[in-house]
Amino acid sequence: MKLEGKYTFKAARQKVWDVLLDQKVLASCLPGCERLEEVAPDQFEARLKIGVASVKGTYDGKVRILEKHPISSYRMEVEGSGAPGFVKGEATISLEDKGDKTDILYSGEAQIGGLVASIGQRMLGGVTKLMVNQFFKAMEKKIQ
Amino acid sequence: MAATTTETAQRWVGRSVKRVEDPRLLTGRGTYVDDLHLANLHQAAILRSPHAHARIRGIDASKAEALPGVVGVVRGKQVAELSEAFPLGVAAPVRYYSCAVGKVLFVGEPVAVVVAKDRYTAEDACDLIEVDYEPLPCVLDPEKAVEDPTAPILHENVGSNVANHRVLHYGDTDKAWAEADLIVKTGRLVFPKYGSTPVEGYAAAAQWDPLNQAYTIWSNFHGPFIMHPVMCRALGVTEDRLRFIVPPDIGGGFGIKSSVYPYMTLMAICARVTGLPVKWIEDRREHLVASSSGTDRVSYLEAAVKKDGTILGVRMKIYDNCGGYIRTPEPACLYRATGNYSGAYLFQNLKMDQYAVMTNKSLTGPNRGYGCQQLYFGLERLVDQVAYDLGMDVAEVRLKNLIPAGAFPYTTPSGGIYDSGDYSKSVRLALDMAKYDELRKRQTAARASGKLYGIGVATAVDPSVTNMAYITVAWTPEERARKGYLPKAGSSETGSVRIDPSGKAFCMVNTTPEGQGHETAVSQIVADELGMAIGDVHVITEFDTFTRTWSITSGSYSSRFASVGASAVATAARRVKEKVLKIAAPMLEVNPQDLDVRDSKVFVKGSPERSVPIRRIAGQAHWSATLLPEGLEPGLQATCMFNFPNAKPPDEKDRVDSSQTYGFIAEVMGVEIDPATGEVRIDKYVTVHDVGTLINPMIVEGQVMGGALHGVAGALYEEMAYDESGQFLAASFMDYLCPTAMEAPPIEIGHVVSPSPFTVLGSKGCGESSTMTAPAVVANAIADALRPLNIAVRELPMTPNKVWKLLQEQKAKGVA
Repeated sequence: MKLEGKYTFKAARQKVWDVLLDQKVLASCLPGCERLEEVAPDQFEARLKIGVASVKGTYDGKVRILEKHPISSYRMEVEGSGAPGFVKGEATISLEDKGDKTDILYSGEAQIGGLVASIGQRMLGGVTKLMVNQFFKAMEKKIQ
Repeated sequence: MAATTTETAQRWVGRSVKRVEDPRLLTGRGTYVDDLHLANLHQAAILRSPHAHARIRGIDASKAEALPGVVGVVRGKQVAELSEAFPLGVAAPVRYYSCAVGKVLFVGEPVAVVVAKDRYTAEDACDLIEVDYEPLPCVLDPEKAVEDPTAPILHENVGSNVANHRVLHYGDTDKAWAEADLIVKTGRLVFPKYGSTPVEGYAAAAQWDPLNQAYTIWSNFHGPFIMHPVMCRALGVTEDRLRFIVPPDIGGGFGIKSSVYPYMTLMAICARVTGLPVKWIEDRREHLVASSSGTDRVSYLEAAVKKDGTILGVRMKIYDNCGGYIRTPEPACLYRATGNYSGAYLFQNLKMDQYAVMTNKSLTGPNRGYGCQQLYFGLERLVDQVAYDLGMDVAEVRLKNLIPAGAFPYTTPSGGIYDSGDYSKSVRLALDMAKYDELRKRQTAARASGKLYGIGVATAVDPSVTNMAYITVAWTPEERARKGYLPKAGSSETGSVRIDPSGKAFCMVNTTPEGQGHETAVSQIVADELGMAIGDVHVITEFDTFTRTWSITSGSYSSRFASVGASAVATAARRVKEKVLKIAAPMLEVNPQDLDVRDSKVFVKGSPERSVPIRRIAGQAHWSATLLPEGLEPGLQATCMFNFPNAKPPDEKDRVDSSQTYGFIAEVMGVEIDPATGEVRIDKYVTVHDVGTLINPMIVEGQVMGGALHGVAGALYEEMAYDESGQFLAASFMDYLCPTAMEAPPIEIGHVVSPSPFTVLGSKGCGESSTMTAPAVVANAIADALRPLNIAVRELPMTPNKVWKLLQEQKAKGVA
């Protein structure tokens, strides 16, 4: 599954960058996040409780932040699994100035397997979009 | 008109008698595996792979085992200790077990089984098992799996993804190619993977007897009972230590349930490990993900033709996708149609270059039409292409190449012996019923007004009652000639009839029905033979390998009831009748040959007032056995194990009579395509069948309609789709589009009757029927609709999005 999109924050780039990579903020903004711990620099372990269509479940996973180019871009690798299946993905996130606002552009690819893929496929695109938007909206609240 | 069950005056065979099993089935009084109760019965749930291809680094089931109510967790390691890999029909050293051992090869493959006091606990415990997987790259396309050197190899010890490869050459295609005016090619054809959707999924309950070291398994397994010795080999027991019991009712099968045997094996192992009786009832998702399906197939076909439309020869290259492991009876999908590879046509030169391939998809096996829908999709698309390339009408080119009516029994180049038929008459009837010429005129008018209307024609020789020898065509003639090799040949079935002391008949036939109405048909046949009312004929369907007389070919598959099952039970009834007449002869003071039966009486031919009730004869046979005429055994019973003399092993040129009767199907379809949505609407569907003698026309028509809709489903709706990473995308009826009454087109059915000279009643199988023609006729009709736009139809299912995409692509090129 391909992921691509843009979200505009009403804040300066540095501020957005700081918030985006703040562990506490991340933990509170990630939908369904029950736990997020930094186990090594830029490496996190997380537990997410997510429901896609009728498939609800808990996923334990790892998040790694790579290729950090402060305030302009980074790459994120996510790997998680739980009873309903597994997720593996990566995305590049870049930040661009838009006057006094900042655009976040993300693009990546996710591989979803197991039960979620086999019965929730039609919902996946929509649910993912919804969750990304939830995440950024929550983020925006933290910034303001 | 439906008949009542008390009449006896006229023959029952040939009448649309109401199904005697329906009152039971429609009021919820059927008895299925899940109705089985055993003391201390425990339930199993299966943990399945979420990966298409991965190494299993470890399984931690400690949390699951600690859950109250769980009595055991069975892993691949134990399965490999307590069973051998299943015997295969190929030489490739594939090690296939009922549960993954070390590696998973498709999404849904069993990885562990939890046995618990109830299913809830078992399912919850499955969620607690942690499996450490190392994902590996996957391959899904069968052609790529063979031809692409970068494709991952599923079975390292096999060394390639080819489970079986054979080149079969009949006649001389080089000569045909040299004599041809034109070579016609289909291009790359893709037939989809789809299955069946029986109301009841797989079910198995198993018990282990440690004293006798024996297993008893209850399952909705419907044969072939060849799987009994196959399972004995896997479980390491002799045949007397494995008992199969099939309950009276099975909720649909369509071939799919012959592949329940790995789960029967798995439950047997679970019962042994836990020391408890264990039951597993498959749920719908499991059924779609990992029960069984037909193969998806990539094929390339070519024909050598003369300018007048005569087909001289055909060459096919086939890649058949059997999924992660080649599971017995595969690669039978490639060989089931050996005798009828050339279909309804007269050409004598044929070359089949065929691969059975393993990829990271779920496993395949018999699915209604087995091997024939794939074959005829290719062959009938090829015949259409011949017509296109020569500027001929598609019906005309078929009529030109059909086997003529006077040629039966006709031996095909690949060894099939077509018993009877009148193919031209059948095709002409289908064309007449569809008002073909008028339909073409309507098409011209529709096209003129910008509509997309297409007409398809397709034919099929419909094989029934397979000769198990065909599977050995997978071996080379040299392999079959090796010392100690036991040739496989036969297609027998057992029928038993007895008359009880009250004069009523009890019949048994080992065709383990799944809803086809065998009880009704057997009642009709035996009532006729014994001169009884069908209400006086009882048919026992439950099956038990310890108490029945059976053989390994027994079961319900390859539409074998109306051919071999009916022949066996009719012969048994005739033997009983013979004895009835012998007992009656001295009572009526005539010779047995002067007697006949009617209205439950034996009467003297020509003077029916001189008669004796069958009840009286039965009374003598049971109550007064010592006083029976000399030489007669007590009781009134007979058993017949019917076989066909043509069911011989393949010869040194790979020719085999792969089925024992061959029906015929001719179809005409009209479709209209909505250019805005790409949706295909079936406007007209005519199907003409020759199934020999019709035992019960209502049941035959039910089979035809069901088969037609099943085939239409594969052509337009159903697909076991995977994404590029091998994830299964159709695990519910939201995505696996099983057609409903709303999608069912009106179907006009016609019959031509050419009784088979090889069966007792002249009847042939009809259970698979239009499943093998519908995909071809739908594809041909859509192709005809899209031809003016220069769009070729090379794959199924033709879903609206696919059709729409093809239309858009042509639009972009400025054609449409």
